[in-house]
Amino acid sequence: MGVLTDRKRLGVLVLLGGGLTLLLWYLAPWAVPHRLFGGEGVLLNPFGHHLPQGTLPQGYRDTWLSPVFYLSLAWLALTLLLPWTKAKPTALYWMGALGLGLFLLTYLLFQGSVAEANRLGERPLRRYSLGLGSYATLAYSLYLLLLARTFSPGGLAFLVRRRGLVVPLFSLLLASLLGGAMVAVLKESPGEAASLREALMLKLDLITYTYQLLYSPLVNPSGFLQSLLLATPLIFTGLAVALGFRGGLFNIGAPGQLILGAIAAMLVGVYLPGPRWLVLPLAILAAALAGGLWGALPGWLKARFGAHEVINTIMLNYIAASLFLFLISANEYKFFGQTLYLPFKYPGYEARSHEIRPEARIPHWTELVAPGGELSFALPLALLLGLLGYLLVRKSLGHRVLSALLLGVAGYLLGGLLPGPQVAFGPDLTSVRLNGAFLLALLALLFFHFYVFRTVGGYELRALGLAPKAAEYGGVVAGRKMVLVMFLAGALAGLAATHYVLGGGIDEYRLKQSLPYSVGFDGIAVALMGQNTPLGVGLAAWLFGILLTGGLQVNLQLGISRELVSVLQALIVLFIAAGGFLPRYFTDPLRAAEVELREERRKEVEA
Amino acid sequence: MNLDAAFLTALLLSTLRQTTPLLFTALGGMFSERGGVVNIALEGIILFGALTAAVVVERFEAALGPGPHPWLPWVGVLAAMAVGGLVALVHGVVSIRYRADQIISGTAINLLAAGAPSLVLTYFYGNATSSKEVANRLPLLGPEGFALSPLVYLAFLLVPLAWWVLFKTPFGLRLRAVGEHPEAADTLGVNVYRMRYIGVVVSGVLAGLAGAYLAIGFLNQFVRGMSAGMGFIALAAMIFGKWHPVGILFSTLLFGFASALAIQLQGTEILPAVLVQAFPYVVTVLVLAGFIGRSRPPGAVGKPYEK
Repeated sequence: MGVLTDRKRLGVLVLLGGGLTLLLWYLAPWAVPHRLFGGEGVLLNPFGHHLPQGTLPQGYRDTWLSPVFYLSLAWLALTLLLPWTKAKPTALYWMGALGLGLFLLTYLLFQGSVAEANRLGERPLRRYSLGLGSYATLAYSLYLLLLARTFSPGGLAFLVRRRGLVVPLFSLLLASLLGGAMVAVLKESPGEAASLREALMLKLDLITYTYQLLYSPLVNPSGFLQSLLLATPLIFTGLAVALGFRGGLFNIGAPGQLILGAIAAMLVGVYLPGPRWLVLPLAILAAALAGGLWGALPGWLKARFGAHEVINTIMLNYIAASLFLFLISANEYKFFGQTLYLPFKYPGYEARSHEIRPEARIPHWTELVAPGGELSFALPLALLLGLLGYLLVRKSLGHRVLSALLLGVAGYLLGGLLPGPQVAFGPDLTSVRLNGAFLLALLALLFFHFYVFRTVGGYELRALGLAPKAAEYGGVVAGRKMVLVMFLAGALAGLAATHYVLGGGIDEYRLKQSLPYSVGFDGIAVALMGQNTPLGVGLAAWLFGILLTGGLQVNLQLGISRELVSVLQALIVLFIAAGGFLPRYFTDPLRAAEVELREERRKEVEA
Repeated sequence: MNLDAAFLTALLLSTLRQTTPLLFTALGGMFSERGGVVNIALEGIILFGALTAAVVVERFEAALGPGPHPWLPWVGVLAAMAVGGLVALVHGVVSIRYRADQIISGTAINLLAAGAPSLVLTYFYGNATSSKEVANRLPLLGPEGFALSPLVYLAFLLVPLAWWVLFKTPFGLRLRAVGEHPEAADTLGVNVYRMRYIGVVVSGVLAGLAGAYLAIGFLNQFVRGMSAGMGFIALAAMIFGKWHPVGILFSTLLFGFASALAIQLQGTEILPAVLVQAFPYVVTVLVLAGFIGRSRPPGAVGKPYEK
């Protein structure tokens, strides 16, 4: 690759991005100062607005738009010319930064215009946002920054080294584009179009609005809590799948393991009397144990008989679902004419168990953050002391974790004694059933990190996943390890049930027929998106929690099935499996190393 | 429980009906795996096929009126086969061209098949769980009381045909070579990628056929999740049948019998229905555990091939 061809390629890439940006500037709305229910909006565009009611909203002035547009146009022309001058690729950094500044300016001017209208007008504008045209400015700026980095020395190696981030994010982008196309096909845009350009503008706005709704939980407090609520089980099941992947096994059995965990949690939570400090931990442990055993079964079948874990885990999902319905859908059954009585079903039409005893319930988030309406320092202090305990003790890992745990508990107790200020949360926040299971999920992430990356057992597990034969030669007993991996994975999936059954994650503290055990399948997407690392799994679970929460809004406001989100998830899995359709050196570690070496050498030559 | 003739006849016919989709799918899986590609997406492809058949037939009825159109269900069947082949092609491209982990790629398609039908159903019918019932189902063939869908006969006729194609034609030899030892086949001038694509697409076409049978032969509409693990059971049957058409015939009959027995036992007082439903799945686990050691998969199955 010569310098000249590099420069030409850069020029073409900038041209492509710039052209697309220009097209979007022409076609898409730059801002939507007012949106009607059902999605139709007042669409502002420098080449002509689309106004459903014929006029701008009362008191609204669009004078800010054309200066911003001409400024943006000048910037775009500069970026297009730059690669063909003698300037270094790093000059694109400045262009990218300039673009970010332009976007910020657009945002501020738009916010100002809305504020101005709201100061004057009688009916304040409440549902307003920027449109795809402005977002195109932002996207093009980021694209320029990326190009600048890629085309400066060592740029490709920079990207390849971060392939764990590049592949999932690129797959997310591709899946989102395809999802947008599906929305455009499946949903008629609201409002009437007089020309082809207007029709396209309405479609583009519809797609933008769909994604704005999908990501709306990010900017709305109750949606934010709701996204954490939905992320909680996904963290557990994501870890359950990720642990299997790390050990070279594909655990599609998380739904079944979750069901068994839910059954065990219900049995302990409903029928074991005792004080809270005993019953609650026991119920949680029971969930982990039952899920673990259900997971260990296919592990054992594989180790002992060589039966493939994929089909077995799937079959065990169906069997678990039958078992679960068997327990809670009726009180008496006929076996060969004999009647069997089961005490588990709660009387009534619905298939559900008796309520979990109050002692075995996982507390609601308000009880943890502010018990009795008083802000508590217990959790922050526990976190602080725990962290200190881990960082200050400079001995073996076991010592560090132990001291962190002990100090954490001490901090919790101490913080509970401290008086705190009175706080009150609105009903939109208290109605979100986020509970202590979220903290358990965070602990599970920590466990995964320490077990997989900091212990001998975890090292053996990864060795088995990367090179089974080498691991066995190195002394790993593959069969036993397989059973252990599946046990731990199953235990993690079983813990997801604590959120639903003990934490009342949906609406009641019971085992119910509506138990959404298919989150076990969503765990596959979470694990792949998170690249089987704890931080990645946590973030991916949160991302899907956001999308699922937003999906509800999409369904309510636009009438598009919430399954749009699961389609996006499936596409992400497919694209990540295909390496994001990126060049091989993004998926193959050996080729990645080759690229890094080559770039290193080139840097030396140039220096 | 009265083991009278009526019960046994019903059980027999039910076994044949339950075996049909399994047989189509397992034979399809055999073509794919003999060529070296694991196709766990068959479960999802059955669903896509079923959805296509039901929606295509219903749309035609909406346009032409319900009045009997004997050709119409066959249009649905062909459309289901085409869509099945296309979805399998996606799996093929991702796992052959882009060397994806074939099980993850297949799982992605299964996840897609769990979500995408809801979008289509909402678009056409405004509900996310089932399609409108069709008036033009596949016809029944055979003597009064023993009439079966033509697809049932077709499934069983496919067994000798698949045997002949796989073991008596140059195509079959090449397909097996590509799945057993792709490097050797490549040096002899066989186009490895093309053979693998063909194997995968054939499996998709057959699974689409199974889906069409479920939607407009067995029932008269698409219902969400109607495949109920049949694709996976078919794969287990394929393993149990040692990747051989005749073995697959007998193993799918076993699983078909398990399903039929479960259906016939429902509503009796012998075993609770919720537990009986799990019967085929339990059989699958037991069979896989008991017999897999004695069957050997194609040598290169699951491994992407690189020139």
